[in-house]
Amino acid sequence: MELFYRDAVGKSEIYWETLIDDLNQSNFYNAYCKSEDYYTIFKQIILSLLLEESLVLLDADFTDDELLSLTGYADYASFTQPVIRTKYEFIQSKEHLLDCIHTSSTEWKITLFTSGTTGIPKKVTHSFESISRFVKKTTPDKVWGFAYNPTHIAGLQVFFQAFLNGNTIIRLFGLPQQEILREIRNFGITHISATPTFLRLLLPKEGLYPSVMRITSGGEKFDSKTIELLKKIFPNAKITNVYASTEAGTLLAAEDDIFTIKPEIQQQIKIENGELLIHQSLMGDSELNHSEWYATGDLVDIIDTMPVKFRFLSRKNEMINTGGYKVNPTEVEDVIRYISGVSDVRIFSKPNSVLGNIICCEIVKSNPELDETGIRLYLQSKLQEFKIPRVIRFVDGLTTTRTGKIKR
Amino acid sequence: MLDKLLIIINTVLSNRGKNPISAITENSHLRNDIGFDSLDLAELTVRIEAAYDVDIFEDGIVNTIGEILQKIEK
Repeated sequence: MELFYRDAVGKSEIYWETLIDDLNQSNFYNAYCKSEDYYTIFKQIILSLLLEESLVLLDADFTDDELLSLTGYADYASFTQPVIRTKYEFIQSKEHLLDCIHTSSTEWKITLFTSGTTGIPKKVTHSFESISRFVKKTTPDKVWGFAYNPTHIAGLQVFFQAFLNGNTIIRLFGLPQQEILREIRNFGITHISATPTFLRLLLPKEGLYPSVMRITSGGEKFDSKTIELLKKIFPNAKITNVYASTEAGTLLAAEDDIFTIKPEIQQQIKIENGELLIHQSLMGDSELNHSEWYATGDLVDIIDTMPVKFRFLSRKNEMINTGGYKVNPTEVEDVIRYISGVSDVRIFSKPNSVLGNIICCEIVKSNPELDETGIRLYLQSKLQEFKIPRVIRFVDGLTTTRTGKIKR
Repeated sequence: MLDKLLIIINTVLSNRGKNPISAITENSHLRNDIGFDSLDLAELTVRIEAAYDVDIFEDGIVNTIGEILQKIEK
């Protein structure tokens, strides 16, 4: 019996046989997927591939308001349809399942949402080709530590890398540090892909975890100190820093903080006025992106030209990167401004040693009875948790800029 | 000092809709005993920095209340 997925949070272990039984017994399909349970999400992705139906992934913590503005609906029960199997009758084995997936999928599309730079989150749609472009072929004995939200691009890429190679997936996201380390040891995890924040908080004081062969990280600044400490605990791991975006997936990899553009994609990546641009042929289909070159908003410092080597400097727009999650301050301000009793608000970030940046907020109130608890309760029903400011200050007038510089 | 830290910790907990705790000791583990996640730890650093002018996570991860006290008292 080969393990497909283990989830210490949901206390479940799913073997490939169980997965195949569940797929064979699925009689209904819904194109919208919103679940707290990672296995439900994985199963729905696989089913959508088998049926060549499109799938929309929704974060489990999207509020009804967010769902309405993103999809036009907050309830998806009416989208449930009976399953019609045209391509296969019955999945017989793991090999058969993976064969069916590899030989299909031209019509298949998956949609997810990313923090937009203009206000509300935007929709990004990927084809099988764009999502699996960077999947490397490996042997089935690899064991992946799953350390991302499965409805975000990074999580999807780890899922596809593991699933298409028939690897085992062990959930690490959402577990306490001790349990994460126990899972790594007990299940001989070989590969971990995670944000630098996740890895920083994972670092034990001591101990050796020799099973880990590879650690991939990205999404925010990966400091050399964390890399150094990781090398001590995971002596056999090759550590790679990747650059990825929801629109394009993983694009670049580096062993430190200097990225090299590989010859095979050098025609599709360019740097203009210090900003990294990506050709549309490398991108998923975004509703806001119709031009030939996509401006990433990431500003880089060119170190070498043959081949091009660069280091990331900062972001051109005001998106705040907090623990690898990108938050648009305008979106949060717009929600807070709606609260009765708020006359003005400014969201800004402050550098933080845990998350890289922390979201802070200043509010000018017109109703003296408005308090922090009331605001927090309201925001919990309107915004995903990582977007809610961690520090709220009431002020007579706005004093700070978005980069957290306090005007004294 | 412990009392003041407890107030800060309970502020962080209640900001996330979590239940306050009644006591902490030097051995209390921030993540395993108190139940902090990365968002909570980040907020804790900001609040401690505001109160004591020390970034407790500046040179690596702090796990217990005792380790915080050491940083503050330095």
